[in-house]
Amino acid sequence: MHEFYVTQQIIAIACEEAGKQQAKTIDKIHLVVGELTGIIDESVRFYFPLLAENTIAAQADLIIKTVPAKLYCPVCAKHFNKTFDYACPNCSRKGVLTEQGREFYIESIEVDV
Amino acid sequence: MEIKIVRNILEKNELSADRVRHYCQERNIFLVNVMGSPGAGKTTFIRSLLPHLSFTASVIEGDIASTIDAKRIADDGYNVVQINTGGSCHLIADSVLQGLADLAPVSNSVVFVENIGNLVCPASFDLGQDIRVLISSVAEGDDKPYKYPTMFQCADMIILSKDDVRDVIGFDLEYYSQGIRSLGIKSPLFPVSFKTQAGLQALTAAFNYRAGEKFRCAE
Repeated sequence: MHEFYVTQQIIAIACEEAGKQQAKTIDKIHLVVGELTGIIDESVRFYFPLLAENTIAAQADLIIKTVPAKLYCPVCAKHFNKTFDYACPNCSRKGVLTEQGREFYIESIEVDV
Repeated sequence: MEIKIVRNILEKNELSADRVRHYCQERNIFLVNVMGSPGAGKTTFIRSLLPHLSFTASVIEGDIASTIDAKRIADDGYNVVQINTGGSCHLIADSVLQGLADLAPVSNSVVFVENIGNLVCPASFDLGQDIRVLISSVAEGDDKPYKYPTMFQCADMIILSKDDVRDVIGFDLEYYSQGIRSLGIKSPLFPVSFKTQAGLQALTAAFNYRAGEKFRCAE
């Protein structure tokens, strides 16, 4: 639901950075979004054309790289992709969340100058 | 042409959160971000704690619409301002800055910010608070830490409200606690019934201690 605010910020940052290069249009916006941020791609894509209208990002494609959340099993001393109940697929003990999956940034934009 | 950026999408909110922190630091205000689902008992938590606090306190009420909660707190005799987000599912730090300006809290006091009822979005938005308190009610079920991990992980205190109906609901406290532990959370858990007041004394003591830490540090 908070994708409305998030999409506003994506457009603002992309337009600001494109403006620094005197770009005419933004063709692509590359985002990196961790699984734990809870951001839903479809919601961002839904809001984007509505919020980007009349900006130089109006025709931009959103390229969203989703980063899966990794958990760490202290028993096996190994990382594993998040499971529903946080159980390690090897020993079934509960793993702990790590930093991977919390990413939330604009990596780059592609512009036409 | 490709332009490398690597900028945090929420940077604007984080800058505003820093301004809130600066405001609270200057006036020695202990700011509490109260989060939880609709109906979990956020307003009841605030109203139950207010008479037992060792410090002056006031409230910023966040709701999508209405002034129902602000009126309740004003009727209790406390200073309160209402923020209506008009549809947005979470407060942002800019709203809190405006709320603080309107509230004009006295120095050395506690300010509660009641966030929008939602177990997802408020976790992503730093409001510049000293602590986040999560109100999680027995009625919501014992699987919530597994389903909404981000909200539980960001909480500094977890209040399990409506604890008087735990048996009626069939709420498994061990399963719930295990879910919290599996997230690596060390924050204390307080089972409380605001209706019977069971557990309220322990919660109040812990809260007063936590707020007092900030005030003691500033002395």
